[in-house]
Amino acid sequence: MTDVHTPREQAEAQGEETGSFGITETEPDATGSGAETGPSAGWLRWGWRQLTSMRTALVLLFLLALGSVPGSVLPQQGSDPAAVQQYFASHPALAPWLNHLGLFNVFAAPWFAAIYLLLFTSLVGCVVPRTFKLAGSARTPPPRAPRNLRRLPHSASFPSALAPGAAVDAAAAMLGGQRFRLRRPASGDSGHWVSAEKGYLREAGNLLFHLALLGVLVSIALGGLFGYKADKLLVEGQAFSDTLPALDEFHPGRLVSGSDLAPFTLTLDRFSASYLTSGGSRGQPSDFNASVTYSPSPGAPSRTYNIRINDPLPVDSTKVYLIGHGYAPVFRVTDSRGNVAYNEATPFIPANTGTFLSDGVVKAPDASLGFMGVFVPTAVSVGGTLESAFPAADFPAVSLIGYSGNLGMNSGVPQSVYQLNTAGMTKISGSPRLMLPGQTWTLPGGRGAITFVGVKQWVSLAITYDPGQVPALVCGMLALGGLLVSFLVRRRRVFVRAVPAASGGGSVVTVGGLARTDASGGFEEEFAELAAELAAQQKPEPNNQSEAGA
Amino acid sequence: MFRAKRRTVVTVAAVAAVLLAGALAVTLTEGSGQASGVTYIGGDNSQQVYAAGHRALAPDFTGTSLNGTPIRLASYRGKVVVLNFWGSWCAPCRAEGPTLAVLSEQYRSKGVSFLGDDVGDTTANALAFTHDIGIGYPSVNDASYSIVQDFSRVASVGYTPTTVVIDQTGRIAGLVIGKISYQSMTTILNDVAASP
Repeated sequence: MTDVHTPREQAEAQGEETGSFGITETEPDATGSGAETGPSAGWLRWGWRQLTSMRTALVLLFLLALGSVPGSVLPQQGSDPAAVQQYFASHPALAPWLNHLGLFNVFAAPWFAAIYLLLFTSLVGCVVPRTFKLAGSARTPPPRAPRNLRRLPHSASFPSALAPGAAVDAAAAMLGGQRFRLRRPASGDSGHWVSAEKGYLREAGNLLFHLALLGVLVSIALGGLFGYKADKLLVEGQAFSDTLPALDEFHPGRLVSGSDLAPFTLTLDRFSASYLTSGGSRGQPSDFNASVTYSPSPGAPSRTYNIRINDPLPVDSTKVYLIGHGYAPVFRVTDSRGNVAYNEATPFIPANTGTFLSDGVVKAPDASLGFMGVFVPTAVSVGGTLESAFPAADFPAVSLIGYSGNLGMNSGVPQSVYQLNTAGMTKISGSPRLMLPGQTWTLPGGRGAITFVGVKQWVSLAITYDPGQVPALVCGMLALGGLLVSFLVRRRRVFVRAVPAASGGGSVVTVGGLARTDASGGFEEEFAELAAELAAQQKPEPNNQSEAGA
Repeated sequence: MFRAKRRTVVTVAAVAAVLLAGALAVTLTEGSGQASGVTYIGGDNSQQVYAAGHRALAPDFTGTSLNGTPIRLASYRGKVVVLNFWGSWCAPCRAEGPTLAVLSEQYRSKGVSFLGDDVGDTTANALAFTHDIGIGYPSVNDASYSIVQDFSRVASVGYTPTTVVIDQTGRIAGLVIGKISYQSMTTILNDVAASP
C-alpha cells in the first residue's frame, strides 16, 4: 500500500481489522471506559488486560522455563529422595536455604504453581475473547464498496457494452461463480456496485487454532483429573491383580481413587533381554521382551501378550509399559533348627546399568538372619574384587555379608525391602561370601544356612491411564492445521462499480482490489487476471471501442 | 449495548476457563506432592463400622490354605469372620500377628472365626511367620492379590494390613485399616457378635 490513499478510505475498505494470526494482544479498544464503573473496576480491567496480553504470556512462559531449571539441576524429593539427603549432607549450609525456597520440590512449590496458574489464566483470558471475535469476523459480510476505487492498492477500469446495472450484475455473477461472498447495494442506495470478499477460510483456520488450543488445555486438565500412573515390580512366575495394595507406587489424578483401577490380573511368564555380544557397543541391549498372560477382568478368559519397549500392553483403557528390568536371585534360608524360614526370588536393584552389577538384601526375620548382597550376572575377578563383565546372566554369582539378630520388622514400622536395618544385628564374622548357583553357606555358630538356589529376572511395569492423551493429540493436530490454513489463505476483497459512459449506451466499470493481510504476495496477479476476465466478459462491440477508450 | 453484553459473556467464559485451569494446577501440585510412598495410606489404625442394613456383601472366594487345604469363605456363613489381609514381609502385619493370635483363641467360643489372606508372599515365608508367632487359624494363599482386588471393589481395602469383620450373613460389618489394636478389635467384635 502507498500512502497516497487517505486513512479513512483504507479503513472503510478494510472493514473491522483483526489480528494477522494466532495469539495477538487484545485491543485496548475500551480505554477510559472504567470511568463509568468506578476507578477500582477500571484498575481491575487494566490488570486483566495486562495479564492477558501476549507480552505477559511470553514473560510467564520464559519464567516457567527458568523455574524448571533448578528442577533438573538439583535433586528432587519426588523422584530421588536419597539424592536430596545426600545433597543435604554435602552442603549443610546451603541446602536448608534451598529447601526453604522449595528448590528440592520445584514442581510442587507454590511459586512454581503461581507461574503456571498465571500462565494458564493469561492464555485462557487471551484465547477466549479472541475466539468470540474471530467467530464474529468469520460471519461479517464484505463492507460497502468505497466511492473511489482508484485509490485502492489495486485498481483497473474498462469500458463495458452493458448498462451500469447490467454490468455490475454480470460482474457479480462472475465473482459469485468464483465463490466470492457478495454484497449489493441496499434497496435505498444509489449507484451500481458490488463488494466481493474471499478467503474466509483464514478466519475459520484461525478460529480452529484458538478452539483447539483451548481443547489442548482441557485435555491436559482431563488427564490430570481422571488419569493415573502406577508402578509394579514383578518377578518371573509372579502374578498380580491391579489393586492398590499390590502396587509399589500409585500416582492418582485429583478425582481418582483406588477403586477406579482397571481390574485386570497379569502374570509375568518370562522375560528375556538380548545384548550385543561383539563390536564397540558390546553389552548394549538389543531387545527386551516380557511375555505375559493377562485377564482383563476377574473371570474373563486369559490371553497372552509380549510387552516390549514402545509396545505396551493395552488392557481395559490402560496401558502397561515395560520400564525396567533386573535380576532376582532366589535364596532359601533355614533357621538354627533346619526349618525353612525364607524361600523367595529377591529383586536386586542394578547399581550399574551397563553390567547389571546389582545390590539387594535378604530378610529372614523368622530365622533372625539378614544378608546384604551383590549380584553379578557374569562374574569376573578384577584384582580380587567381584565385578560383572556382561549384563546377561552367563556366569551369575552373589557375594553376601551375613547379619544375625533382630531385623526390627516385628516392631511394626514399615521398612524398605531394599534396605537392611542392622541396628539390632551383629555381623557374622568373616569376609563376604562368594556363592554360585546351587551352593549353600552354612553359617557359623549353628545360626542356620543360606542357599543360592538360582536366578530369575524381574521387570518394572508402569500402568498408565490418561484420558486426555488422545484428545490432546487430536487438538494439537487441529491447532497445527488451523494455523497452517490461517497462514496460507489470505483474505482479499474486490469491488466493482459501474457508471454510465460519457457517451453511448455502455458504461465505465472500475474494479478495485485489496488484500487484507500482510501475507498478500500473489494478489497482484490474481487481481490482474480477475480484472482482465471481467473486461473480456463485457467487451463492447468493436465499433464502440474507440469511444470508450478515450 | 450488544457489545457490552458480548463482553460479559466473554468475561464469564474466560473466568470459567480460568477456574478449570486452576483445578488443573491443583491437580498437578497434588500429583507431584504424592510422588513418594503413596501406598502408605493412613495405616494408623483408622476403623470403620457399618450398621446393619448398610453392610456390603463380602465377595465369596475359594482358595488354598498355606498348608494346601481348600478354603471357601461361603462355608463360614452363620459365623462372624475376621479376615486379615497380611504378608510376612509387612512390618505392621508382623507386629499385629501376636494380638490376632490371642484374639482368635479368645473369640473361638463366641462363634468368631479368624481367617488370613496372605498377599504378595511365598508359602515358605508365610508359614515360617505363622509358626514363629503361633497363629493357629488358616490363611489363604493370595500371592497375586486377587481376593484383595475383589474386596477393594466393595470396601476400603487399599492397604496391607487391613482387617475386615464379616457378620453371620456374610456382610462386611466393619474394618480396621492398618495395624489393629486389641481394643479396636474387641469393640467391633463385641458389637457385631451381640447384634447379628
